[in-house]
Amino acid sequence: MTLLSVTGLNKSYGGVPALKDVSLALPAGEVLALMGENGAGKSTLIKVLAGAVVPDAGGIGIEGRPVTIASPEEAHALGLRFIHQELNIVPSLSVAENVFLGRRYPTRLGAFVDWPGLHSQARKALDMLGLGDIDTRQTMARLSIGNRMLVKIAATFLDEGANPPRVFIMDEPTAALTGPESERLFAIIAALKAKGQGIIYVSHRMDEVMRISDRIMVLRDGGVCARLGTSATSRAEVIELMTGRGVSETQVRRAKPLSGAVALSASGVSGGLLRDISLEVRKGEILGLAGLAGAGQSQFLKLLMGHAGRGSIAIDGTKARIRQPADAWRLGLAYVPRERRAEGLVLTHDITHNTVLPHLGWLSRFGGFLNRRREWLLTGQVTGRVRLKAAGLHQRVWRLSGGNQQKVVFARAVAGSPSVLLLDEPTRGVDVGAKFDIHTLLRELAHSGTAIILASSDLPELIGLSDRIAVLRDGRMVSIVQARDIDEPKLLGLFYGEAGLADAPRP
Amino acid sequence: MRRGLRRYGTVLGVVAVVALFWILLPDTFMTARNWLNISQQMSMLAVVAFTMTAVMAMGDFDLSVGSMASLAGIVAAITFMATGSTLAGVLAALAAGLAGGLVNGLLVSYIGILPFVATLGTMTVYGGLAFFLCGGKTIFGNAIPADFSGFARGGLALGGWGPAIPHLTLVAAAVFGAVWLLLEQTVHGRRLYAIGGNSEAARLAGVRVQRLRFLAFGFTGMGAAVAGLMYASRVASANPTQGAGLMLDAIAAVFLGMTMSEEGDPRVTFTLAGVLILGVLGNGLTQLNVDSYVREMLIGAIILIAVAAGSLGKSRER
Repeated sequence: MTLLSVTGLNKSYGGVPALKDVSLALPAGEVLALMGENGAGKSTLIKVLAGAVVPDAGGIGIEGRPVTIASPEEAHALGLRFIHQELNIVPSLSVAENVFLGRRYPTRLGAFVDWPGLHSQARKALDMLGLGDIDTRQTMARLSIGNRMLVKIAATFLDEGANPPRVFIMDEPTAALTGPESERLFAIIAALKAKGQGIIYVSHRMDEVMRISDRIMVLRDGGVCARLGTSATSRAEVIELMTGRGVSETQVRRAKPLSGAVALSASGVSGGLLRDISLEVRKGEILGLAGLAGAGQSQFLKLLMGHAGRGSIAIDGTKARIRQPADAWRLGLAYVPRERRAEGLVLTHDITHNTVLPHLGWLSRFGGFLNRRREWLLTGQVTGRVRLKAAGLHQRVWRLSGGNQQKVVFARAVAGSPSVLLLDEPTRGVDVGAKFDIHTLLRELAHSGTAIILASSDLPELIGLSDRIAVLRDGRMVSIVQARDIDEPKLLGLFYGEAGLADAPRP
Repeated sequence: MRRGLRRYGTVLGVVAVVALFWILLPDTFMTARNWLNISQQMSMLAVVAFTMTAVMAMGDFDLSVGSMASLAGIVAAITFMATGSTLAGVLAALAAGLAGGLVNGLLVSYIGILPFVATLGTMTVYGGLAFFLCGGKTIFGNAIPADFSGFARGGLALGGWGPAIPHLTLVAAAVFGAVWLLLEQTVHGRRLYAIGGNSEAARLAGVRVQRLRFLAFGFTGMGAAVAGLMYASRVASANPTQGAGLMLDAIAAVFLGMTMSEEGDPRVTFTLAGVLILGVLGNGLTQLNVDSYVREMLIGAIILIAVAAGSLGKSRER
């Protein structure tokens, strides 16, 4: 039985087509992966299904019945459940209330919230995912990012007799999850399949898609470019179809020994969750920073950008006082934050303003006056280097795709020729083409002597790019390993501190 | 097209209002003398609105500017009486403005109180302080030096050609120039707008957000003090409530200006347009003998219409 069918969907924005004659059929018990670069039309398709966007033409069918979806409520009533990468949560409310966000709370006497009922129903939904360890009464803010995502997924399992879930549409659900949390999700997906429910799965992570999907639909420039059986295709073929060009997936690892001088060293750095972290990174080295989500990788990078805790940091052998990010930039550090929209970009400003923001001081003239010509020249240079695709340097950043927004953050980071580059999940939510460009850029930078600290939860990326990998657990550094000596299972073992792997090679 | 209409709608509105007054008041409205008169009437509002643009560029407000203007006038008058020196009085008023502004900056930036709450509090404190210092009485007569009160009555004659340009207009023009240079031509201005766009991103990109916010409030406080001095000079007296109307009008002028900017940022050139709208409306309606309460209702309604049209156009575009 076909759970969901879409035929001849068209949608354009101001004459620019976002969807061109898109059709799909999702049978019961199947996982359909939707692949495509940013801007290929995946988001628009999902928005149409969610009732957030009205298509110009085309039809949608649920179990063979033609339907129209004019609002998120209607989509919900039809049994469509959406799991988005951008979490829609209220951190100050309890887990149970977040499970019920956007639904009617159970009531007593028609007006009063039935709190015990609310908690027991939320409990039931969480237990279905095996989330017995999450208390429904604690506030959402206290959960790790990964657990918040799992709570939101659990929310789609709420028992609502009248309109049971039929189709789950998951948009980058693992973007913020750790390996084991992802495994938990994959197990749930398998269980849903077995119950005869359908899943549309969107992810940039090839490994996952190859593993859990039954079929793959590739979108390019708004149109369906291929429909493939997962078992009959390969990663390389999918990537080629998405990008329209061949991408060599084999990561070339540098064999040269590292002999550069120490660019940055941290000794005994503590603060927040972090306890006594000492490490150093040499010129031309890429040092990976890994661990379970929330083990302290992001915090460590933030601490390098400005901290008041204990420990000392030296740059090029000189002890550095870095109290705020302004000091860090001045001393030759550059930072690509984890959340590009919240922490990276001034979305309403143009590409030039965003690129030169940390560099305004040394670009200025007459002691503080803007030098727009120099700003423009520098921006042109570095946006070319990161292969930014934009209509012009005065384009507002909010108009760019996610991958190109991330390239603006990179253009900013490299514009000052930093001696140390700090990267927090630099390819998160970025399409394959942009990811490839970013990886190429990082290798070039390392080759020309930049020291790079790379925090990433994308293990193939981490292992493929890094020279050494520092593993953090609960805010402590537990080991540093040579990337060439390690594979994903071993690295995961280090994250958990499994016995027998604790004696992993040290430098 | 719709975007163009949104952006230039306010400008078209101004042109329409000017044309209307020109037709209704053929003899008096479109004269050099009347325009100089308008420029002088609105010069104090203009100074406050221009400097307010600096804090609003960061997405903040300063509600205390009106009280600060009154307080500055009182401080100047008291210093005149104590020292007999005009210069000392002016400097004392400016210092009070700077200090009051920096207190706002301290509360907002380093202590972390919402600007609305912090400046609402200081608005009351500064207003009360003004009353306290003068004992609730207007200071006038011999207490105000003649050279100080003469300043506002004088003007710069352009070689005997045409009417003289009032000193107060020139002060407003100078403040406009200074704010324009600061916001549009210096790195500090660019950073203020970055804070307004996304303060956490600006901080992580090396902007010293706390210090800049602190100083920007100081700058706005000084602007309020300048306006207070202009007012005291113009009426040759100092009164603890004379700046009261400035704050709302200044914020209204900046908001009117924001409807003209593409991304809704407060820009000082657009603030000037906003000030002009308020000034021209006030002048024209007064000349038409429209009751002052009706005038207030009209001006309030016009601000709401302009801002509502702007945000409607924006939400449709996205």
